[in-house]
This record gives sequence, structure tokens and C-alpha cells, in this order.
Amino acid sequence: MGLIDNLAKYAQHQNLSKDKRVVFDSFIKKGFPTNSDEEWKYTSLKKIVKSEYNLFPEFSEIDNSIINKYSLGIKDKIVFVDGNLVFSPEIKGVQITGFSDFDCRNNDAISELNSALAKSGFTIIIEKDIVVENPIEILFFNFTKNSFSQYRNRIIIGENSEVKIVENIQDLSKSSTLVNHFTHVSCNKNTKVEYNKIQNNTQESKLIDCMNIFQNQDSVCEVNTLIFGGGFIRNNLNFEQNGSNCESNMNGISLLDANQFADNHTFVDHKTAHCRSNEMYKGIYLEDSRGVFNGKIMVRQDAQKIDAFQANNNLLLSDNSTIDSKPQLEIYADDVKCSHGCTIGQLDEEALFYMRSRGIGISEAKAVLTYAFASEVIESLSIPELKNLSQKLLAHKLNVNLDFSL
Amino acid sequence: MSDIKKQTEDELLEEVTTSEYKYGFTTDIESDTIPKGLSEDVVRTISSKKNEPEWMLEYRLNAYNAWLEMKEPDWANVSYEKPNYQDVIYYSAPKQKPVLDSLDDLDPEMKKTFDKLGISLEEQKRLANVAVDIVMDSVSVATSFKETLAEKGIIFCSISDAIQEHPELVKKYLGTVVPVRDNFFSALNSAVFSDGSFCYIPKGVQCPMELSTYFRINEAGTGQFERTLLIADEGSQVSYLEGCTAPMRDENQLHAAVVELIALDNADIKYSTVQNWYPGDKDGNGGVFNFVTKRGVCHKNAKISWTQVETGSAVTWKYPSCILKGDNSIGEFFSVAVTNNKQQADTGTKMVHLGKNTKSTIIAKGISAGYSDGNYRGLVRIAKGATNSRNFSQCDSLLMGDKCGSHTFPYIEVKNNSSQVEHEATTSKIGEDQIFYCNQRGIGTEEAIALIVNGYCKDVLNQLPMEFAVEAQKLLEISLEGSVG
Amino acid sequence: MLKIKNLKAGIEEVQILKGINLEVNSGEVHAIMGPNGSGKSTLSSVIAGKEDYEVGNGSVDFLGENLLDMDPEERAHKGVFLSFQYPIEIPGISVSNFIKTSLTEKRKALGQDPLPVKDLLKMMREKMELLSIKKGYLSRNMNEGFSGGEKKRNEIFQMAMLEPKLSILDETDSGLDIDALRIVANGVNKLRTKDNATILITHYQRLLEHIVPDFVHVLHDGKIIKSGGKELALELEEKGYDWITKK
Repeated sequence: MGLIDNLAKYAQHQNLSKDKRVVFDSFIKKGFPTNSDEEWKYTSLKKIVKSEYNLFPEFSEIDNSIINKYSLGIKDKIVFVDGNLVFSPEIKGVQITGFSDFDCRNNDAISELNSALAKSGFTIIIEKDIVVENPIEILFFNFTKNSFSQYRNRIIIGENSEVKIVENIQDLSKSSTLVNHFTHVSCNKNTKVEYNKIQNNTQESKLIDCMNIFQNQDSVCEVNTLIFGGGFIRNNLNFEQNGSNCESNMNGISLLDANQFADNHTFVDHKTAHCRSNEMYKGIYLEDSRGVFNGKIMVRQDAQKIDAFQANNNLLLSDNSTIDSKPQLEIYADDVKCSHGCTIGQLDEEALFYMRSRGIGISEAKAVLTYAFASEVIESLSIPELKNLSQKLLAHKLNVNLDFSL
Repeated sequence: MSDIKKQTEDELLEEVTTSEYKYGFTTDIESDTIPKGLSEDVVRTISSKKNEPEWMLEYRLNAYNAWLEMKEPDWANVSYEKPNYQDVIYYSAPKQKPVLDSLDDLDPEMKKTFDKLGISLEEQKRLANVAVDIVMDSVSVATSFKETLAEKGIIFCSISDAIQEHPELVKKYLGTVVPVRDNFFSALNSAVFSDGSFCYIPKGVQCPMELSTYFRINEAGTGQFERTLLIADEGSQVSYLEGCTAPMRDENQLHAAVVELIALDNADIKYSTVQNWYPGDKDGNGGVFNFVTKRGVCHKNAKISWTQVETGSAVTWKYPSCILKGDNSIGEFFSVAVTNNKQQADTGTKMVHLGKNTKSTIIAKGISAGYSDGNYRGLVRIAKGATNSRNFSQCDSLLMGDKCGSHTFPYIEVKNNSSQVEHEATTSKIGEDQIFYCNQRGIGTEEAIALIVNGYCKDVLNQLPMEFAVEAQKLLEISLEGSVG
Repeated sequence: MLKIKNLKAGIEEVQILKGINLEVNSGEVHAIMGPNGSGKSTLSSVIAGKEDYEVGNGSVDFLGENLLDMDPEERAHKGVFLSFQYPIEIPGISVSNFIKTSLTEKRKALGQDPLPVKDLLKMMREKMELLSIKKGYLSRNMNEGFSGGEKKRNEIFQMAMLEPKLSILDETDSGLDIDALRIVANGVNKLRTKDNATILITHYQRLLEHIVPDFVHVLHDGKIIKSGGKELALELEEKGYDWITKK
């Protein structure tokens, strides 16, 4: 019995509303996407959905020392344990509560599943004219063995407000788990939002993440996706620009080893004129890891004067690592400046030799060059603790004891 | 932007819609046509009309049966009403099938057609040193220079003749690069192809002249399904050109060709196309559906270079590809694709790197005007064993007017860590400041656009043989007449 | 040759030229000087017909015809040449191809046949020599990868080839080192005849040491506030613009 049968059975015993039932039936009808779906051409869920999962979380207590171990050390923390919101900070002008249902466009069968059955998640509402001074850290811990968990989160940022958020999903169950994570972000006029995702999970963890961001005029939204580990990761990041002078920025690092897999799917929908988007994804693949990048920029007919830039650069550092990349431009307006670039290559042998001739060991030389490759993204991180952590994780993954913070 | 600017743009757009297809004449030649529709009988009829051997008939029937089970692809970013395959005439030949020793024997009507096309055979023969094979509707009607080529051992003839005279070569290579079941259109072509060109260059021979084929759909309601098979034996070299035109018709005409290139060890093939099938009128009525499968395989140290200038057709679906099978082989793709009015094009290439140290280069320039949509779709696949391979791709789009679209869909798959791939794409419009600069030097806006577009396409046009480059330039100008300011 | 009367022009709502009066006769060289933002480049753009500018009042008469009614290319055909402050790059088009096209278009407009290639090349060689331009330059792409000096020299080369009646050199001297300036100035001087006229737009007196003007005008806030002979330029150099603008 696979996950879909499990879910069908589970849903029978749930008291779903009529609307939810319709959405759930639609999910059952479509099923999980397969490789014949263009958006899942390079990413297979076959094995993942064949496994057995526990759909009922078992709540555990959490020790502060565990929270501190995984926290960036940021003061304002929201903590989830096995789907329960156990801790949330008090911040002026910011309401933080648990799951409250909402409607949002369903991108695919997986988001339908989330919409129909998710019962956990956070809701953050930031009032008008509030500049949230300190970043907010959101930690999701799971201890339930073989769990399948779903989160459905919503963030609404009031006019002229600013906020920075760091999210970290951590599995501590020492078992094979799957998370279906959905976040809806509404950026009202003139808001500045920075959302950071640390994805540094265990080898057995699997994550399907979907983030839909709706931007109004003069808003700036940046999402940084920092992948340092995880058995399987699929990130869907969608920006929809609905007002003039919006800016959407997205940066990513994927640093994978063993047989890890990460797929970054981004979509920027330029619907209005005078907007910008910038995209920079760097992939570094070690051992038997696999990467996928799919970036789509759409410029609609009335969206003139758009400046869109996209880059996907990849380093393949081992014989068995692979990358599939699909950068796409779909342009229906003429007065635009759009470009994308994609490169796949290795470290520069001459630079390596040069460094070694100056007495730097091969691993260190490789690490320095790899850091240089990723630095554009890491250096741009605005939260010092996050930058620091990224540098440490990079050194750790590359097996060197180097401090990149200088 | 000022109102004046806007106004000239509108005026110019108006002009585009009135600029006409210059090759849209029909030729009044008696044809031998079979009833429309496709069935096993039709396939048998075609085969028997051509006096084909049993193995060829079997090949066709096998393809026909495969086709019956296949579905027309719909992944391309084009929308059109799918042709009714029972409404197409699958065979039409000019009744007087001239087996020409001398081109002077050609039907005068047909000769006029060629003159209108600007390819007077005599002239080509005298000046350009080009050997020409002409395929009208579905049948090859004239091949020039056969004897000159024969002296070098080069075979250049219609594929029908090749099936009769060189069955061993056809049997050995036909369908090896584009298998019958490769796709819907290649299966259809394999079942019903009525003619096309065949070329064999023997070991170590450098073909002394450009080889050329002109394709023309003439008969109303006919589909054209030509088949080209080109084999460059070890160490040989050839440059091959094809040109296409069709008369204006209200209904859509179907063109589903298959081209197979085989470059054996150390061989070098350059294949150039200037495609100017009738694109339909300004409202999108009529025009040719151009669904073409072109693919070449490179053995060791071999090289295949595709160059295409695509200005015609209502809908284009075309991806000239290279399978870089042998070590050190090279694939190239240079393309200019222009769409105007309601044309749609989904075109690009596939570079499949299998051998070690293989290299590929892709330069694709798209120009969209009017209400048209231009798509670049390309695949670069570097297999695990293709160590030290390189690819460089550059895809640029130029937009003229705010009702057109331009899209880029590259697929990049890399499976080893000693290879390098670089892909760049840009989308832009012609700069107003460039046009003003030209205006100030006395060059009118129309001319300025032609000049800028030519400059934009130069990297590709430079790849074409001289005679073709001039024709291609003219075509670009005609296709874009007055597109924008 | 050129009569500008009470010319007013601007972009959108902003008025830049606020009533210019200027008369240029054949054989004359006029220098228009002024601080940044005084409207110098707007004036040259309006004369050449750049569509970004809206012309309100006033008239521009060129050889008895209303210049403002003409398209930019028509003005060029009649003999107006603007050397751009920032020459435009046209990738893929060689210098020779570009010049051939503009010359042919001009001749077409004047009812003349295109110049035979042989004569064209001969003419190019002569003019290249005049401007100390090296061989190989003709096959380079228009302004692509040109240094600042090369771009400006290319402008003067085109001027030499097109033989305009009225040449407007918009900041042609800026960014040139002294050797390049000498070459350009020398070229301009050699091209001077009693039948053509030149307007130099600059804010450096340096150029005027090499191309000696008959008249100097000071443009400030969209108006010509002072005119004089070549000595006015020297006075400006010495005393600065404040000397006049504060009056």
C-alpha cells in the first residue's frame, strides 16, 4: 500500500468540508506527479510515495538544549514540535498564531493534498508601518518515526512594513520521513521581505516545499534557499507581481553529497510594468548527488520595461554527480531586458595548481575555490548569523577546517 | 516614448500586414495525383507507382502500422488545428516525369517556375557551380551535374533512383538516424515519402561543388513528404543546400520531411537550409505546416554543421540535431528564425554528446514581429561517457512590436564532471537610439531595421555559402518589411 | 543657411530650450559653449530631429525649408550632419557597409545613382588618409569595441564621406587625448569650405585653439545669453561661466 492509498483511507475518517472533499478528490484523481509531467521530468517521486508513512504524529517533549543546538541563536523564535506550535515570541505589531486555514491557488496535486488535509502551520500577520527589527526564526522539529507531515503557513505583511525570517525544518526521528510544506506570502504595498530557508536535513528526510508569493506595488521580496543536506528536496518558489515597481530576488545554494537530491523550481510571473527580478542559483555537487534547476521567467503582454536576470551556475565535483538544468524565458512584451545564463563546469585546474604551488593543500585549495564560486550568494546574506552558519556548513561539507568569514 | 514614435510603429505594423509573399504563384502543370486519404492501399499504391522492391514496401507498411498507433505531439509551444490526415493527397507527380539528360528538355512551364524562384538552372550551372536536385510536390524532377559528380564517384540523385540503383546503400542507412518510430511525423514520412534527394560521397572525396535541392509544393491539397539521405564516407567532405517555397493557398498544406545525415569517421557535412514555405496571410489563413525531423550522426572526428534561415511556414516544428557518437566529433547549429503576422515557430536543436572530447556550438537568433510567436527549444545532453565534452549555446531574441512573443526553452543535462556547458540567452528589442543614429546618417527606418537585423544575424548568415547568404538576406528583409520603428 | 528663431523645446513637461535665436551662414564656424545642463545637446538633437523632444514654439529654417517638418533621414539627405556625443554601436555591421548604405540612401534621395564601388573605395581611402585612419578599420563593426577616440574619429570620417552642408559636432572633443584631438581638428579644418558651415558644441576652450570659430555663443538655461568673436571663448576660459551668468 503506497502513500496515496494511505491518504485515501485516512481521509475517509476525516470530517472534511464539501470544498475540501472536492480538492482531495481532485488530488486522488491526478495522483502524485510522474516523470511524464513536464514539471517533474527530472524528479521522480516514485520511490518516495511507495513507502509507508505514519500519518498520525506522536507528540514529544522538546528540550531547550535541542532548540539551541539547531537555532541560529536568534532571540525571536517560533518552534513547532511534531506539528504542534510550542513556542512563539511576542513582537510589537506582529501577530503570530498557529494554523488558520486559507485559500490559495493550488499549483499541482501536491498542493491540493496540502490544501485538503493540512492541519498544522503558522500564521504571521504584520500590521502596517511596522519595521520588525530582529529576524524571526521558525524551527520545525519532528520526532515521529516515518511521519508524513503537512504544514500550511501564511504570512501577510502590511503596507510599508519590513521583516526578515529564517526557516529551518529539522528531522530528529532517525527514520525516513516526508514533509509537504506550503507557504503563502502576501507582500502589500511598499513592503520589504526577506525569507531564508536553511535546508540541512538528514539523509533520510524528504521535503516538498511550495512557496507562493504575491507582490503588490513597490514591494521588494527576497528568498534565499540554502541547501546543505537532505535525502530529497523539491522547492517550488513562485513569485507573482501584481503592481508596478516590484522587485523579486531569489538566491540559492545547493551543496550536496552522498546520494542527495535537490530540485529548485522557480517561476517569476511578471504581470505588471516597470518591475525587476534577479535570480542566482549556485549548485555544487559532490559524490553521487544530483541536482535539478528549472527557472522560468514569464513576462506578460502588458508588462513593459521589465528587467529580468537569471543565472544558474553549477560545479560538478565528482564523477557520479549530475545536473539537469532548464532555464526558460517566456516573453510576450517587447520593451524588456531579459537574460539568462547557465554554466556547468569544474574548478579551474590552473587556479588549483597556482594555489598548491603556494603551499595550500589540495582540499583547502578546492574549498577556497568552491567558496569563491558560492560567495556571491553567501556574501549577500544579510543576517550575520546565517552567513556565518553557511560558511561553517560549507567548510564542513568540503571537509576542511577553514574560516571563510574573512 | 513619444506619440510620434507610437504612431510610426502603428503605421509600420500596418505596412507589414500588406507586404506580400513573393513566391506565391502556382504552376500550371498537369499532375498525376492519387485520391486523398491514407490507408494501407495508398502506401502500396505509392510503392508500386515507384516500382519499388519488396523490402521498401515492407519498410513503408511497417512505418504505416507504427504511425497508426502514435499520437500527434502537442508539447511544442504552438497551437493550430491538427490536420485531418485523411484530407491530404499523399502523392502528386508532374505527369511528364522528365528523365533529363539535358536540362534544356525541361517542361517550359516548369522552367518558368524555376526562373520565378530565381534559380535558373542554366545560370546556376554556369555561375554558381551548384548541382541541383529539384523536388516538386513529391517527386524529384531534375538533377543537374550528375555526370560531373559521377566522375568523382559521388552519387547525387533522387531517392527513388537510389532505391532502384543503389539499394545496398539505402538499405544500410535508411532509418538508422531517424528510426521509423522516432516520432509521429517521421513515421508518417517513412510510410508515404514519395521522393527526395540521395547523396553519397565516397571515401576521401571532397565534393567539388555545392549540392542543392529545391523543394516546392505546387498541387493544391497535397502534402509533401520528402526524404533526404546523405552519407559522407570516411574522410569525405560535402556542403549541401536546400531551399523551399510553396504557392499561396487558403488551406494549410502539410510538409513532413525527414533528413538523415551520416558522417562517418573524419567526414565533414555542412547542411544549409533557407526555408520560405508560404507563411499564410496576415490573419493566419493558409500557410504550410512544417513538421520536419532532421538529424545527423557523427562518427569519430566527424563534423556536422546545420545552418538554417527560417522565414516561412505557418507553423514550424523543427529541431536539426546531432548525435555525437564518435570521439572528438563536432556538432554545430546556426539558426535564424523569423516569425511575423500569425506565424508560429518552435525550433532549435538537440546536441547529444556520447563520445569523448565531443564539441557542440549553438547560435540561435530569433526575431519575432506582428502577432507571431517564436520559440527556441534545445537540448544539450552530455552522457556519462562523453568525458571532456564542451558545449556553448547562445540564444538571442529580438522583438519587434508588442503583440509578439519570444520564448526560450533550453534543456541541459550533464552526467559527467569533466565536461563544460555554457548557455546564454538574451531578449531585447531594436534600440530606438540605433534607429535614430541611422536616420541621422540618412538611412530610413525601414532600411535601418534591415541593417540592424542583418548585423544581428551576421554570425549565422556568415555560415551560409555565398549564393545563399545573399538570398537569405533578401528573405529576411522581405519577411520583416516594415515591422517596427 | 540655418536660421533658428525663438526655438522652444523640451521633454514631456520640462522646458529645456527657452527661445533660441541663431543664424549660421555658409563658410562660418560657430561655437556654442555653456555649462552642463544648459541645453547644448538638446539643441543639436532638435536640429537633427530626435523624436524624444517636443518642439513647442519657434522655427528652424535650413536653406529656405522648414527643417522641423522633416524626418531625421530627410534632414540628413539635405545636408545636416550630427556628430553624436555618444556614438551608437551597431553589432554585426561593418563601418564600410554602414557608410555605403548611408551614402547610397542620400544619393537616392537626391536622384543620383549609387557610387560605383571603385569610386567609393577610392573616396574612403582618401578620407581615411585625411584622418590618419589605419587600414582594417573599415571591416570592423560599427563602434563595437571602439575606444572613445576611435568612435569620435569614426564620426568625423562619416562626416567626411557624407559631405554635409551643416555639421554639428556635439562634444566631439570630450574624452579625446591631445593627439586624437589634433587629428580630429585637423580633419574638420581640411573639410571646411566656403559652402559649408560648422557648429561646435563644447565646454572646453581647448578645441577652439585647433578649430578657430568665427562666432562664439554662450548658452545658459535654454537661452543664448551672450555672443561674440573667438576672443569670447578665451574670456570664458579665464573667468568661468559665472562671470556671464551672474550678470
